[in-house]
Amino acid sequence: MIQAQLEIQLIAAVVAAACALPGVFLVLRKMSMMSDAISHAILPGIVLGFFATSDLASPLLIAGATLTGVLTVALVEMISSTRLIKEDAAIGIVFPALFSVGVILIAQYAGDVHLDIDAVLLGELAFAPFDRLVVGGQDIGPRSLYLMSGVLVVNILFIVIFFKELKVATFDAGLAAALGLMPVLIHYLLMGLVSVTAVGAFDAVGSILVVALMVGPPSAAYLLTDRLSVMLVLSALIGAGSAVAGYWMAHALDASIGGAMATMVGVAFFFTWLLAPDKGYVARQRRRTRQRWTFATKMLTVHLLSHEGLPEAAEECREDHLTHHLRWEPAFATQAVKTAMSDGLVARSGPLLELTPAGRKHAARAVVEI
Amino acid sequence: MSAAVEVRDLTVAYRERPVLWDIDLIVPEGVLMAIVGPNGAGKTTLIKAVLGLVKPAAGEILIYGKSFASQQRRVGYVPQRGSVDWDFPTNVLDVVTMGLYGRIGWFRRPGRADRTKALHALEKVGMADHADRQISQLSGGQQQRVFLARALVQDADVYLMDEPFQGVDATTERAIIALLRELRSDGKTVVVVHHDLQTVPEYFDEVLLLNVRRLASGPVGDVFTEENLRKTYGGRVGFVGAPAGSPPIANRGPLPERLGGVSRSREPSRN
Amino acid sequence: MDVLIDLFSDYTLRVVALGAAILGMSSGALGAFAVLRRQSLLGDAISHAALPGIALAFLLTGSKAPLVLVLGAAIAGWLGTLLILAVTETSRIKYDSALGMMLSVFFGFGLVLLTFIQKRPDANQAGLDTYLFGQAASLRVSDVITMASIAALALAGVAVFWKEFKVLSFDPDFGRSIGFPIRRLDIGLTTLLVISIVIGLQTVGVVLMSAMIISPAAAARQWTDRLGRMVILSGLFGAVAGVTGAALSSAKANLPTGPTIVVAVSAIVAVSLLLAPNRGMVWSRLRAWRAGRRLRMDAVLMDLFLLATQHDSAEYPHDRRVLDAMSFPRGATTRNLRLLEDRGYVQRIDATRWALTAVGADRARMLAHENPSEWRTA
Repeated sequence: MIQAQLEIQLIAAVVAAACALPGVFLVLRKMSMMSDAISHAILPGIVLGFFATSDLASPLLIAGATLTGVLTVALVEMISSTRLIKEDAAIGIVFPALFSVGVILIAQYAGDVHLDIDAVLLGELAFAPFDRLVVGGQDIGPRSLYLMSGVLVVNILFIVIFFKELKVATFDAGLAAALGLMPVLIHYLLMGLVSVTAVGAFDAVGSILVVALMVGPPSAAYLLTDRLSVMLVLSALIGAGSAVAGYWMAHALDASIGGAMATMVGVAFFFTWLLAPDKGYVARQRRRTRQRWTFATKMLTVHLLSHEGLPEAAEECREDHLTHHLRWEPAFATQAVKTAMSDGLVARSGPLLELTPAGRKHAARAVVEI
Repeated sequence: MSAAVEVRDLTVAYRERPVLWDIDLIVPEGVLMAIVGPNGAGKTTLIKAVLGLVKPAAGEILIYGKSFASQQRRVGYVPQRGSVDWDFPTNVLDVVTMGLYGRIGWFRRPGRADRTKALHALEKVGMADHADRQISQLSGGQQQRVFLARALVQDADVYLMDEPFQGVDATTERAIIALLRELRSDGKTVVVVHHDLQTVPEYFDEVLLLNVRRLASGPVGDVFTEENLRKTYGGRVGFVGAPAGSPPIANRGPLPERLGGVSRSREPSRN
Repeated sequence: MDVLIDLFSDYTLRVVALGAAILGMSSGALGAFAVLRRQSLLGDAISHAALPGIALAFLLTGSKAPLVLVLGAAIAGWLGTLLILAVTETSRIKYDSALGMMLSVFFGFGLVLLTFIQKRPDANQAGLDTYLFGQAASLRVSDVITMASIAALALAGVAVFWKEFKVLSFDPDFGRSIGFPIRRLDIGLTTLLVISIVIGLQTVGVVLMSAMIISPAAAARQWTDRLGRMVILSGLFGAVAGVTGAALSSAKANLPTGPTIVVAVSAIVAVSLLLAPNRGMVWSRLRAWRAGRRLRMDAVLMDLFLLATQHDSAEYPHDRRVLDAMSFPRGATTRNLRLLEDRGYVQRIDATRWALTAVGADRARMLAHENPSEWRTA
């Protein structure tokens, strides 16, 4: 593996981790689509900044474009606060408009500047190692690695310093306000963080794929844990892993690295969704099948308990009644009765089903547990 | 007396979590019945199950002795007011006309006769002069009356109403109850999810006390007792202590006027 | 101006404009339902998800015929929608996350395929990347005919199932209770939405097509309170934006079609939000300002009235500085007095003193009577 390849993978992993961290809060706050809005809306900011500085890594450009992102959030909130348009529609109106302005600017001055539409969509990760940071005549590595590491460190610091505030503001904004934790300020700081991350990642993966890196890994991590701190670490790891895998996929197909990173995020999410212990699809289905029989025996005992000793018992507690009134499939009813009998909850008495003392307790408990 | 609605052994579960446990219920024809119970008791779910909007895990529902599907025309539904977006671009008359869409048939538009029917229903709820009003300009009480008018044009025999008195002004409340009585005198059956325990004896003939299980049902005078209410609202613990083999609910005689003991404020807030 | 003349004289431009009008009309009309059903951003997901469908359709068939590519786009868009539903229904992932992930992952996969195709030596792939930002100039007559037929089908679907779609959008539970097959109607309307999106992809591109779903509808909603008019107006706005954008981008070099159309439609939204009668922000601000001015004016009138009640005559003159003190901290007494003078409610006695007129005293009595709690009168 040559050094350039190593550097690309390193940058990709750092970008993905940097995106995943603020993404966790977007996912938990049900604001995932804000990443879509911000990553598009910063384009005019980036383009104008680029005209001014001719340098995608210039601090001026980053500051200006970040401001564009935060202003977009404010604009969306302003429009939806008029109640003329619902919030989802407001998002969907604002960001394509700003993105269009950015694309038109690029197209108009395509000849003059080194910034093309492909870069907007794909990023230029493959070229990242050629842009070196030289300090005092000494080549110390690719510039974008330093830029994104900086963003990553800012994200980590922000989350560590404001962990308590972020946590409370995410799970209970009302409580946060009552505790004086200023949820609105936290909200805007977070939006600023998302913006600065999107601006930093733009160089590597372009505008749209940032969304995959921000939403995908946290979503996968959300299926693996209930703890916020664990979720943050897992998201960063899943993001970095997908990024490296994406690099090799792109390498094999000779295709876009950014696109392949997003694809791998999708693959990682898919397998997590399928196989995650406890919260994955397979685990849920298994649990559901098990629960189905537990539930069926519960239903049976509760049913018998309700009608026990009542005049209609002779009618209600017959086994064939289960298919008739409970509308159970005959096979299901037979299996449910069998399960209940083998658990010692129900006994047969002629044509009737009767609760055993254990079954009575079971039914009573079932009713309380609701 | 035949049953307008009969519910047998109904269990409804969301993700294997029971919301309604083995409900049996008979709603006699021509009565006003209230469904009361704390939040999360499954009142709305029961109505939705009768209407076929949620799929039961077990049990059977009969409307006039037949399945809901075959009796759909005979059932009118008044959903909770908050269940729709009142900023939807339409006017009052149009919403009421929707009550007729079921019988207009595919590919056809409502005609003049349908609009006349809708206007007539609006007159009944005292909203005829608001027919052209955009629905976002209505007060809560007016919105409720529009929904009632929409149910009226269905000309059903059984009406299921989800909290029609929720958040309406006193005038509307009186108008609604007058309307319910008129429906009853026409031989219709009305089942209402109701929150205000104080007004149950005044407004309704029958009551169902529900908290996931049926705690009691029958004529208000018989079952609307303090003890039953305590069972419904006070806790499910009461049921566990019931001696095995005894009927789950016994009638302890009618409740005198002292309803203050069980008021809305004592509902456990589960949501 | 040249563009306008070209629009009527230039054959190619006419074809392009016609295509843009058709796509604007169908996406506008179907978008109205999407916006009302709070599915605005679903349109975004569907259009992005269409990209791998286009690329795969080309890889599998080797054809660049729009009909083939559009079919691939539609299938992929549909698949994306289904996956969003599947993920939200079978896990704790919320709708917004599923949406964001699906659109970006599908799009990323589409870009992988696109770059993969571009680098294959054998394939003549030129033209596929017009689907990113759209290129009106690539529209041919046959394309426009295809678009028109599909759009006509979609619009006919809306017309035929009008009342069913209306109930589905307003109150689906009620619809089910009157026997409408709501699930099937939902699938049907979503299919029509997918169709209206994919026919626009060649012109507007996958990246920005969502704006053509959301913006015309959001603009149209401001002008009318009826669903029928909203759908028609939304289609009209979409068409106008489509033609404007397509014509501008054909006339001027280096002006990508999709973004130009989106800027046009965004301008329509901005104008509608600000100026639409009734709902427009300018009017509601103006109404609020007028009401506020009236209230401030009446306050000074009532102050004067209060002073007058302490004297025999209602028209007893008072010094402005007394009124200043009374209306502290509102201030601006002089301006309010002038406004009242214009209306004949007060008159100026000398440099500093003002008095109620008979008309003004009547008005003050009326206000006090109408709303005694608001106006403290002696």
